[in-house]
Amino acid sequence: MPQSSIPFGKFTHELNVHRNQYSYNEMIPAAQYDAAGNVQPYQPPGLIISREYVYRLLKPYLSIRFMDQVRAVVPLALYLVFFQMLILRQSVVDPWVINSGLAAVIVGLMLFMEGLKVGLMPFGELLGTALPVKSRLTTIVLVVFLLGIGVTFAEPAIGALQTAGSLVDVSRAPYLYALLNDWSGTLVLVVGIGVGLAATLGTVRFIYGWSLKPLIYITLVPVLVIAGYMAINPELALVLGLAFDCGAVTTGPVTVPLVLALGIGIAQAGGKGCDSLSGFGIVTLASLFPIIAVMLLTLYVASQTTPEAIILAAQAATAAQVEPGWAQASPGVEIIGGVRAIVPLVAFLLIVMVGLLREKIPNPRSIAFGIFLCVLGMVIFNLGLSYGLSKLGGQSGSLVPAAFTQLPNVEDSPLYILVLGLFIAFAFAWLLGFGATLAEPALNALGITVQNLTNGSFKKTTLLYAVSIGVGSGIAIGVAKIVFEIPIAYLLVPGYLLAVVLTYLSSEEFVNVAWDSAGVTTGPVTVPLVLAMGLGFGNTLGSVEGFGILSMASIGPIIAVLSTGLYIRRKIARRHAGNKNDLFS
Amino acid sequence: MSSRDFTVLVDVSMITCIVQRGKANEVVQAAQDAGAQGATIYYGYGSGVRERLGLLGLAVDVNKEIITTLVADNQVELVMERMYCVGELDVPGGGMIYVTKLEKAATYIPEEIVNRITSKGAA
Repeated sequence: MPQSSIPFGKFTHELNVHRNQYSYNEMIPAAQYDAAGNVQPYQPPGLIISREYVYRLLKPYLSIRFMDQVRAVVPLALYLVFFQMLILRQSVVDPWVINSGLAAVIVGLMLFMEGLKVGLMPFGELLGTALPVKSRLTTIVLVVFLLGIGVTFAEPAIGALQTAGSLVDVSRAPYLYALLNDWSGTLVLVVGIGVGLAATLGTVRFIYGWSLKPLIYITLVPVLVIAGYMAINPELALVLGLAFDCGAVTTGPVTVPLVLALGIGIAQAGGKGCDSLSGFGIVTLASLFPIIAVMLLTLYVASQTTPEAIILAAQAATAAQVEPGWAQASPGVEIIGGVRAIVPLVAFLLIVMVGLLREKIPNPRSIAFGIFLCVLGMVIFNLGLSYGLSKLGGQSGSLVPAAFTQLPNVEDSPLYILVLGLFIAFAFAWLLGFGATLAEPALNALGITVQNLTNGSFKKTTLLYAVSIGVGSGIAIGVAKIVFEIPIAYLLVPGYLLAVVLTYLSSEEFVNVAWDSAGVTTGPVTVPLVLAMGLGFGNTLGSVEGFGILSMASIGPIIAVLSTGLYIRRKIARRHAGNKNDLFS
Repeated sequence: MSSRDFTVLVDVSMITCIVQRGKANEVVQAAQDAGAQGATIYYGYGSGVRERLGLLGLAVDVNKEIITTLVADNQVELVMERMYCVGELDVPGGGMIYVTKLEKAATYIPEEIVNRITSKGAA
């Protein structure tokens, strides 16, 4: 058939793709021989590529990582903004500051996560494989303990605690103010010690294959006893919310992978507990131990100073307010904070690698670059935290009460009748928790693990929804706590007691999954947003402190997942019983 | 026992394409659009240009996806070119593609195709 026409696509195609053909023989270098006639090892020279190729190389690399963080931040921010504009009919104050702050959060997290992958994770993996081979158990335990402290300082969300400290009213909650301001460094250190102890215990648990249930019971006894003691004292009771929130803050994107990499490496090298469950449990302990640690620190602070002394000191400090040096003013604070978060962790890892294990550092150039990215990302993230997330969360939190109560800065408030307004506020909190959790990528990974563990009887989506509903309800109850000024102990103590009963009834697998799911849900975007929202909410309503929402958000999913597990088990048992009856009838 | 046909295909080439992790599905789609029937993807890791790029090498993923697909000799040029363009193999560290001439291959062949070819051959 003679061809009379050419498709246009084929024509342009011919124009765009030039075919060339060369012999590969002409491109390779000739082998070099030394005097003895041996082949010299060939060292390829470095490659310099033109600007166009640099662009084409970096574009997909950057856009994938950028979009990952955009997906984490933008929907949440949009939800807050739309809620504020459509339901509360208030415009966002300082939109440009918040926008650039959110952009800084996205860029900072992107750099930080990439730096973590390139710079810190290789260390963790190498430690996990080399440490059990070369050291004894006591050394391993010590290293794990110190690493637990180091990763806590490096956790991005921990900065949110310090930001929150400036919002506390000293005359009404002196101990809380003292902990978050004068003692803030000690506070983080104490939380770190809690995480370190938890990591140690979790690792030993891996090695000997201990069950998690008795560990939870043993840990919860001091938690509840001290919490009960502090709840009786009205001054100390105000710190309880902070103490329980600290547990939720610690388990973020640095702690979980680094500690897990180490723990699993150790378990595989020397332990017998290498079943499908190894890896679980550390997160649970790492969110319970810091609670005890912070409560003990509070008791210590209380024994050292009196509320009156703290108030006096704070008033003296405000009176003698000097021009802050660059290290106290933004952005100096953020830069120092970023460096202080990463450098000790890196120094510690280096000392262990080179001093203790005598291992060579692989790819020192890329690791140095990764660490640089980590620090840079942390600094930018901290800036975004102050100007974007905390500001937006605080603003929304302080405006939501306008739905049901009268606020001086909002016209026509209350905007809705009391019942409807309260309902709107709780629905807002519930949806925020539900949506933020459902979008958390770590939870998706946990869901797949659970589905495999239970041979499909506990579906991935079931877990996703159970945890998200748990977090949503937890946050809504936390908001209710602020609105009605319910003492946090009245919510937490029964909550944990209920969790203990459910734990007793559940099988080991579900206990592991349920208690870990609480730690997985609180990422670096959710934590600052929820913290700031709670504080803003509390400030507007004139309640003493706005902490405790996060702690409700971590007990919520535990109870939700445990009950779902029990329900599924009963359903299966009933089905089996039904089958048996059919057989025998 | 029924008798079974064993049909052997000749004039077959195998295209193997190595791309950065996460890109294989796009490349397979391009190959299928150009007429390839299917593809197999497996995972691996490798080195090469990445080590020579210095810090820019960090943008190249060590983890790779390896795609193999069997195509007719007449298709090779078009499929290979489409996979090359979609896989962006002209970017440093992007990967590589090569063709291996196969002696013979055998797989399931839809009945109507066999009938069409045999009737054509008989005519």
